[in-house]
Parts: sequence; C-alpha cells; structure tokens
Amino acid sequence: MTTTKHVDAEGRATIKGIICDILEIDEAEMTDTSRFKEDHEADSMGAIEILSQLERAFGIDIDQAELARMVNLEGVVTVVDEAVAAKAAASL
Amino acid sequence: MSELVLSAWSVVSPYGVGSAPFSAGIGAGTSAVGELDRAAWPGPFDRCGLVPDFTAAEYVGKKGTRTMDRVTAIAVTAVGRLLASCGDELTAHPEQIGLVLGTGSGSVQSIMDFTRDSLVGERPYHVDPARFPNTVMNRAAGQSAIWHGIKGPNTTVAGGWLTGLLALSYAVRLHRGGHCARVLCGAAEEYSTQRAWLEWHGRGVEERESPLGEGGAVFLMETVADAREAGRTPLARVLATRFRAYADRADAQKTLAECVGSALDKAGVAPEDIRLVAPLGAGAELAAPEEAGIEDALGTARPRWIRCRPLLGDTSAASTSLQLAAVLATAGESGLGPGEAALVTGIDRDGTVGCAVLGGPARA
Repeated sequence: MTTTKHVDAEGRATIKGIICDILEIDEAEMTDTSRFKEDHEADSMGAIEILSQLERAFGIDIDQAELARMVNLEGVVTVVDEAVAAKAAASL
Repeated sequence: MSELVLSAWSVVSPYGVGSAPFSAGIGAGTSAVGELDRAAWPGPFDRCGLVPDFTAAEYVGKKGTRTMDRVTAIAVTAVGRLLASCGDELTAHPEQIGLVLGTGSGSVQSIMDFTRDSLVGERPYHVDPARFPNTVMNRAAGQSAIWHGIKGPNTTVAGGWLTGLLALSYAVRLHRGGHCARVLCGAAEEYSTQRAWLEWHGRGVEERESPLGEGGAVFLMETVADAREAGRTPLARVLATRFRAYADRADAQKTLAECVGSALDKAGVAPEDIRLVAPLGAGAELAAPEEAGIEDALGTARPRWIRCRPLLGDTSAASTSLQLAAVLATAGESGLGPGEAALVTGIDRDGTVGCAVLGGPARA
C-alpha cells in the first residue's frame, strides 16, 4: 500500500464511496487494485465524473492528465493525496 | 394524406404509475391532490398532486439513474410503459419512430441546482458533469429515446399549458412531412420546490394558492392501416388541432370559441357529435371564459365534461396531454365510437388558446 500523508482512513473511505457511487457498484466489489475500466466497466464519462466529484469533495484541483494514473483506488488515493499536499503548500 | 390515430397510451400521474389507476381515478372523479410532506418538499405549497412514491431508481431501475432527474424519469417511465404495452414489433425499425415530447422548461430544479453548485463551490467548475445534461430542456425527450433505443426524429416542444396540444400538432406535421412512420407524442412535468416558487411568483394573486401537480402522458400515433396490421384498436382519430392568440383577457372567450369553431369545421364534426370535452380549467380568471367559449362554439350540444385540473392539480406543461389521456380513459378500451368526437381545449395566461378535435371511426 502506498503511504499517504494527507489522506487519512476517513478520506480514503470518502474516495471509495464517491467512486463506487459513480460506478454503481457495491464497495465490497472494489479492492485497492481492481481496475475501474477493466473490472468495473467504467467509461470516460465515469472517469471525468470521479475526477470532478473528488475536486468538489476535497476542494482541490486535479489536472485531467492525472486520469492516466486514476485507474484504480490506489492510484486515485495517490493523486488526491498529492493534490491535497499541493493545495496545502500553496496556502502556506 | 394519411390520417393518424391514437392507438396506445401511457400515463404517469398523481394517481400512480400506469393507465389503470389513472382511468379509475378520472372515472370516479376522485382527487389525487394530497398533503405535501413539507420536510421533503419545502416551498410555498402544502398540497400537491405528486406521483406517489415515484423515484427514478424505483421505476426506471437502479443502474444508470444516479443522476437522472425527476421529469426525465417520468418521461422515460411513460415511454417505456407505452412501448412495453405495444410489444417488440413496434421498435423493430427504431429509426422510423419519432418522439415528440412536451416540457415546461426541462427540469428547473436541475438547472438551478447546477447553477448554484457553480456559484457556491470552491471553483466555478466544481460541478457534477454527469448532471449537466439535465440542464438542457430536451433532456427528457433525448434520454427517453436513448434509454429505449428509439432512433427517429426527436423533438422537444414547450408552450406553457398548451404544450401537449402543440406537441400533438407538431407530431402530425412530422409524420405528414414523411420524417417517420410512427410517432410517440406526449408531455411530462415534475414537481420541485424550484418549480413551485417559480409558479408562486409568476401567478396572479387570485390563483396563487392553486396546488400544482406533476405527471406525464405519451401516445402512440400511427396510421389506421398500421394500427390494424399490428392488432391495435384505433382509439381516436386526430382530426384537427387549432391555435389562436388573444391580446386582451376580455377576448379570451371569443378567441377560444373561434378556435374551436374552426377546428370543428376542419374536422367535419358537428357540435352535437362532441361526446366528451376536456378543458384545461386553469386559474381563476381563465377557467370560466374557457367553458363559456366552448359552450359558444358547441351551441345546444350537451357533451360530458371531464375536468382534470381539480383532480390532478396544475400539471403545467403536462396538462393538455393528461386531458387527452383522460378523454381516452373515459372512451375506454374500444375508443371513441362511430361518429363520436371529443374536444380538448386550453387557454394559456400568456395569450394563446388551442384545441384538438378527436373522432371515432366514420359513421358507416
């Protein structure tokens, strides 16, 4: 598991909830590494929805180029963690 | 020119989902307007003709409906039930089926919610992109076609209370122009706190308290030959639609009388052949001139009146489609009888009047 400094267990649960809601699957179906597209039938619109909902939930900006890394829960948590860190650094 | 008939219909109404509860309610004349749960539906009204227990997840399905708004779900449900009642043969050539759906402004709730998110969010683009399609007024018509695989021309019509009649008229022209073999035509309206406030502020003081309603009705329009070939009973022929405008409310009665007279002429229907009349009956100042205008046009004829408004509430853009459905519900499974005719009318507060004349089979 990747170590994240800014997204705690609660934040991770929030992320998982958002993704599962958008992909219309039970949270039990998703693992840290199950892939949205290959394993959960996500399409490009679903990916954009996930990105945008995370921006809203965490008050962060995520570049669309990051979609390439947002292929599973692990990848998304890493991207969100970096974005939260970037936001914290910017506000210093 | 091939005349169109209404050969199947489907309703989502405050009586419930389906034509059976609608027919029973209209037939018995029981009002479907009830107390509004103010916790779930804040706003200016405490009574409403709400479709009971209606949600997209319940009636359209759990998959793919997370961001489907209420008016879209009502339309998708009504179209789906209509198609289901007709069998697979109807959609065998989906590119030959048109869909004409009336709406008020689309979902004003969706439009306002999305705009609000953009204004109050941390960034203006922190909105839910999946909800954007709900903000355009042709969402319900488009989604109904996509959901059910209908690929013919797709049209959204908006015209206040007259919307259902305008959609009917448009559908006839669409078919006449050779753009489709069959047309699904109707209208849908949702209840929301946002629509309630818009109505509250837009109405005159004398009609402000009149409860709102919601629902949708969709009709299958096809030629008699196509209906017979498919084993469907033609329920009513669409004989004429007419629209007029008035500048002064004092002229509304006269304008409607002329409108109805002109439609009867076009239809070749004598006033005494009118068996059923379904007026809009909107607002305190427009219901009386509407009935008076109809009586002026019908003279000594004594038709049966079907008054939907007190039963369903003000269903706005869905009103005249639900009136049309009420006529078919009252006519029953065999439709209008030989030589019988029906009249659906409306006077809109913005200065338009309209009507449709339907008929049974020509007298032998």
